[in-house]
Amino acid sequence: MGVAFAMPAVIYMLVFIGYPMLQNIILGFKNVDVFTFSKPDMQEFVGLKNYMELFTGKNSILTKSITNTLIFTIGSIFFQFIIGFGLALLFNKKFKGNSFFRGATMISWLLPVTVAGLLFKFMFASTGGIVNQFLTQLHLIDAPIDWLLEPHTAMIAIIIANIWIGIPFNMMLLTTGLTTIPEEIYESCSLDGANRFQRLFQITIPMIKPAIMSVLTLGFVYTFKVFDLVWVMTKGGPVNSTELVSTYAYRLSFEEFQFSKGAAAANVLMIILMVVGCFYIKLINDEEEAM
Amino acid sequence: MKQKSNKGLIFIGLAIFVVFLFPLYWMFVTALKTQTEIFAIPTPLWPRELTWEPFLEQLSVSGDTLRGFKNSMIIAVGAMVISTILAIPAAYGLARFRFRLKKPLILFFLITQMLPSTLVLTSLYIMFSRLGLLNSYIAPMLADATLGIPFSIIILRTYFISIPKELDEAAKIDGCSHLGSFVRIMLPVAKPGIIVTAVFSFVYAWGDLIYGITFITDPTMRPITSSIYNYVQQYQTLWNSTMAFGIVAIMPVVLIFIFMQKYIVSGLTNGAVKA
Repeated sequence: MGVAFAMPAVIYMLVFIGYPMLQNIILGFKNVDVFTFSKPDMQEFVGLKNYMELFTGKNSILTKSITNTLIFTIGSIFFQFIIGFGLALLFNKKFKGNSFFRGATMISWLLPVTVAGLLFKFMFASTGGIVNQFLTQLHLIDAPIDWLLEPHTAMIAIIIANIWIGIPFNMMLLTTGLTTIPEEIYESCSLDGANRFQRLFQITIPMIKPAIMSVLTLGFVYTFKVFDLVWVMTKGGPVNSTELVSTYAYRLSFEEFQFSKGAAAANVLMIILMVVGCFYIKLINDEEEAM
Repeated sequence: MKQKSNKGLIFIGLAIFVVFLFPLYWMFVTALKTQTEIFAIPTPLWPRELTWEPFLEQLSVSGDTLRGFKNSMIIAVGAMVISTILAIPAAYGLARFRFRLKKPLILFFLITQMLPSTLVLTSLYIMFSRLGLLNSYIAPMLADATLGIPFSIIILRTYFISIPKELDEAAKIDGCSHLGSFVRIMLPVAKPGIIVTAVFSFVYAWGDLIYGITFITDPTMRPITSSIYNYVQQYQTLWNSTMAFGIVAIMPVVLIFIFMQKYIVSGLTNGAVKA
């Protein structure tokens, strides 16, 4: 009976996710490109050729985009988590306007990423960008920075934009974790004379460890596959300096029409996500068994 | 003493609010500025010369904005309907029954939620092109629904689990079938959860870019995210118009946010932590 209720959704996901995913794995071993796309008799299996070509060579863009994706992901998660945790601790205290401020900071997470990306592209613009203006007014820089036109600063800019988008997610999940900690624990602890930092590191963090772990792993998975933000802000440029695996896969398939290579790059992305995903699923299982 | 620290907290809260929402303020203000003011050094934090022209232009002269809005509305509502109709029974089945495939199926939905769109994009493109669905609303609608389904199932499942079993049993004693108790008892009780998941399926579909730019190349059929993206490619530095366009594009989400915030926060935290 339960299966019958679940079946329509399962079938839908198998048709529109499961089957295309299998096709994508197969496509990665074939030679489909702009020439062979409409000629099925010319499509053949080429083994690992696509993968070899993508990974070898001094200037393998795939290797570079994997490194970029890691930098992007770790940079984003690190700050999202710290800021999100700080905000969760703050909003866990009672004060006037608490729920209003907390609620308002959530909006960045719901906005269409395309619009958020354009907004940040404008704020980081070399001329007319507000970031340069603030930095100049504070005398932190002498001349405007070409944020999105220089490799290093472009990476920093997309990370900052992504942090803004991701903070609410971190804050929300950690806030929920914090509400599960019983007040009495803190009370008995303050009698023992523990100070704020001791309480944070000895009670709060260990108590919400499950929430922390799921925020970090989920955050990793969601950040690792980001596409639209980067596509809108830099399109992977300048000279591939912000190219992520997702944007590279897209470029290969839909700008260079090397469908098989694009598929192979996307498969690499999937494998990395799968490893982290397994970790997350193990975490959930452990938690359920503990309960 | 207590009063004092409370004031400090309010101040910090306010400061965070100001810094965090500054980008949105900036979008709004920029849409009301003239191009000259936008590129003035330093650019004023509030326009000296208010102009509604960018908005008026977006809403009348250039048909892109309203057409994109309409297209997105059709696509997102469609995706929302598909996703909600499929997710409700699935979540119910996975919450209320014991069967052998239960755990693997829950895992299946968890995993599909983590997969990147780029992974299925090429194959979906080939599939839709064979079916003649490219440049139709159906293609992005079908693809966008896959974003909402797993999420909706995971969140709704926690709702159904939290409904006491006795309600079910009482219904059965009164002669309700499985389907009967599902429709007459479970659906009304789970309503807040259903609203949240429907809203999220809509928001996901509304925010999609990758399916929209890939499956639809006809400018008149584009969803709004895709048309604003193309608009910027064309009018690089016309920032006031772009921001006015952006404000139109975020309007439904902002309205949803203002009116349903309470639902959204509770629903989300329920689903994400206990998934």
